[in-house]
Amino acid sequence: MDFLQTILTPFEWLVSMIMVLFHDGLTYIGLPAASGVTWTLSIIGLVLVIRGALIPVFVKQIKAQRGMQALQPDMKKLQAKYKGKTDQLSRQAMAQEQMGLYKEHGTNPFSACLPMLIQMPFFFSLFRVLSGVAKANASGKGIGAMSPDQVAQFDHATIFGAPLSAAFLPQLQGGDLSVAVVVLSLIMIIAMIASQFITQKQIMSKNMSEEAMQGPFMKQQKMMLYVLPLVFGIGGVNFPIGVLIYWTTTNIWTMGQQFFVIRRMPTPGSPAYKEYQKRREAKGLPLLGASKKAVVAEVEELPAPKLQRNQPQRKNRKKK
Amino acid sequence: MTQARLVRRALNRPAVVVRFFWHLPRNILIAVLKLYRRFISPIYGQVCRFFPSCSAYALEAITVHGAVKGTWYAARRIVRCHPWNAGGLDPVPSPVHVHWDDPSKVPFIVQLNHPDHFLAVQAETQSRPAA
Repeated sequence: MDFLQTILTPFEWLVSMIMVLFHDGLTYIGLPAASGVTWTLSIIGLVLVIRGALIPVFVKQIKAQRGMQALQPDMKKLQAKYKGKTDQLSRQAMAQEQMGLYKEHGTNPFSACLPMLIQMPFFFSLFRVLSGVAKANASGKGIGAMSPDQVAQFDHATIFGAPLSAAFLPQLQGGDLSVAVVVLSLIMIIAMIASQFITQKQIMSKNMSEEAMQGPFMKQQKMMLYVLPLVFGIGGVNFPIGVLIYWTTTNIWTMGQQFFVIRRMPTPGSPAYKEYQKRREAKGLPLLGASKKAVVAEVEELPAPKLQRNQPQRKNRKKK
Repeated sequence: MTQARLVRRALNRPAVVVRFFWHLPRNILIAVLKLYRRFISPIYGQVCRFFPSCSAYALEAITVHGAVKGTWYAARRIVRCHPWNAGGLDPVPSPVHVHWDDPSKVPFIVQLNHPDHFLAVQAETQSRPAA
């Protein structure tokens, strides 16, 4: 436990620091210092800072996904080579060769493990800050960058009547369950499940290439569609309202990001990509290719279909 | 006969106990990694830029090299797995003595992480009875 404490201390400091900065800023522009609304906005601010800091990583990943088109011919060959081989070892061999291809072409569609792992200590330290507030307040201590006064403020902060540091299940066990905590927890659990559902449905129905649709990844995604709500439900009743605010906000951010990706930077070969190319065509923009050379080639081909004149049609012509 | 066996078992027992505790840290880490790979990893989908993925790498490193050295290898790999690394193939350093001839004695994760070798072994054993 002490080992965990040592690792999390700097993150706890950073998390409380960012929240205090937001809190100070919001009080400066006139929000009441002791209000739960101010502290809630500070938690949302924390999400914006962390997810905002990860935008360069996200952009890099999207750019790499565009570069994927250059290796489509090689990828098709690879898929043909392993067609029908569904045993685990062959799948692994294919994954290995695929990674080799990415390296060869100098592009990699995956965002790496570090950005994902780095979010975990932030989440855990927020959890620790929020669940430690009541204790620290009782002993008159500060937490990280938060002064004892601010801790006392935070401990008393409520949003729609629910204390930010209160959680559903612990309250239930303590026998002092308040309606506000129950209602707010449930609303946020539902919001998290809904945003997750929408995000994943979007990816699965619009942003996956036909090859990926048949792969084992799809099966996994389908399974997660039903496992994740369970995770949110169990977490939702155990975590304090403040943590749920963080969790819900970051989920909604992910959903928004996904909408943006599907609209503006879809995966090549996916239904969203076809729609995207159609929209570009309608606007008279060049179709997206892997390199400038490919774009030029496609532009030259484009005017060809227009040579055939469309037969004029009566607008109110009966449809068969 | 039975007496001799009992004596031998009594003599062996301390060794079994020692081995159990000696391998305990490694086996706990293996269990944690397997749980992660089964339940948490699918939430995120594939993010890793390497083959084998970081968790597969960690699992093999700890299975093969033990808790201390394996954790060290795994930690170094995770630090390497950032968006500005090109990624690609990055196998776990093999120990000095490798016994990969009989797949039934090789941990499954090692087989998964070295598919070329074990596919070749598989093909060999399948073609043998036919010949």
